[in-house]
Amino acid sequence: MADIRMRQGVHNLDASQVAAFRDSYRQMMQINDNRGYQVLAGRHGVPDWYCWHHQQNARVAQNMRLFLPWHRAYLYTWELAMRDRVPGVTLPWWDWTLGPPRQNGLPAIFTQRTGADGQPNPLLGFRINLPQANPRVVRPTRRSPGPPNELPRQADVDDCLSRTEWADFSDALEDIHDQVHGWVSGDMGVIGTAAFDPIFWSHHAMIDRIWWLWQARNGNGNVPTDLLDEVLAPFNLQVRDVLNVHDLGYEYAAAQSVVPIGGTG
Amino acid sequence: MARTPRTPAPRKERAPGPRHLDAPRRVGAGARTFTTRPVSIDFASPEHRLTRIDLEIRGIFHGEASYEGRIFFNNPKAGHDTPRDREHGYAASFYIFGHGGCLGDPGHCEVNEDARERYDFRAPHPLTLASKRVTVTDTVRDLARTNKEVTITIVPVITAANDLCDTENVFRCEDMRLVSYN
Repeated sequence: MADIRMRQGVHNLDASQVAAFRDSYRQMMQINDNRGYQVLAGRHGVPDWYCWHHQQNARVAQNMRLFLPWHRAYLYTWELAMRDRVPGVTLPWWDWTLGPPRQNGLPAIFTQRTGADGQPNPLLGFRINLPQANPRVVRPTRRSPGPPNELPRQADVDDCLSRTEWADFSDALEDIHDQVHGWVSGDMGVIGTAAFDPIFWSHHAMIDRIWWLWQARNGNGNVPTDLLDEVLAPFNLQVRDVLNVHDLGYEYAAAQSVVPIGGTG
Repeated sequence: MARTPRTPAPRKERAPGPRHLDAPRRVGAGARTFTTRPVSIDFASPEHRLTRIDLEIRGIFHGEASYEGRIFFNNPKAGHDTPRDREHGYAASFYIFGHGGCLGDPGHCEVNEDARERYDFRAPHPLTLASKRVTVTDTVRDLARTNKEVTITIVPVITAANDLCDTENVFRCEDMRLVSYN
């Protein structure tokens, strides 16, 4: 476990962790090739449309619920791209169930105009550059968040976690996921442009974390066996490769808060 | 049970020449509601043992606006400003994460999964219709004490839509059904 990287909650990041997180996105946003923000974010919706949602079915008899595995592979790839820029950084999750005083709607680190260093905050938004789209999309991302009390609550997550059957759980969690996308609205509100908003990744880290919590209780449930060999394009992974986050080299921090107390010295 | 057309509403003609697409916005009200014909809920009367009742909505079109679908029982006049409480027939909501309209060239968003060749191993079209399953156990159990039939009204409240999205015909599905579990 020595090399396991630990994802933290956004609400628990200290100043240096926030700075590293922002620095990784700032650097990725300056790269236009396939290591950069523009190309990687474009794999979700426009222009590449690789993402899996709902229960698309084609080659297998039962509906293919690849929503959770596909996004786990996507975040894994994304986090490695972050670490290529800033070694040691990890992707934090946005726990939208938290209320005041810890958080009220969008976390502050995503809404501040500048960082502590006085530089523009890369978590605020991204300038989409898709002149080849029809119609063209060349503009900064925008958000139009709803009232904080319209976000999912812990009771909704608990209800989701109580479902022991894979399809039932996956559909319930996807519905919560859909709710948060609509709550943020703006570019996050539609599949086409959602991944260009920097909060997309931390929202999905929360979804991935809930899946991992569910796996801790239920194992892999009754994931259909013929789903396991499905390829999660364009990533070099199959479903079976992403079932255990430890195999992907990461884990979610168990502690919700850390209060430094100090020693006797 | 209730059926609505599978095919999306006709798309608006695009203006010629290069165009620019603004960011999606929160629209809220304005989308057309849909109410089913009366549906028997005899299966949920008190003499039946049930652990769960789901409203299954199948074949949902999700190519355009994102929305919250508010589910009301026996309240065909429900709208976006109707209180979401039991008194007004509110049971639950489901959420659709829409694609935000077609951002490709003509034909990009046409789904034709039925015409696939046997050896076509490409991934299914992202606009393959979706399904939602919403648990409505308590609402239906309560109603079944005094009602043999109910109507179900879906009120779409648009959370994100751009100029490519039809903001009137928002909720479109192939069919719905109530499913109970013992």
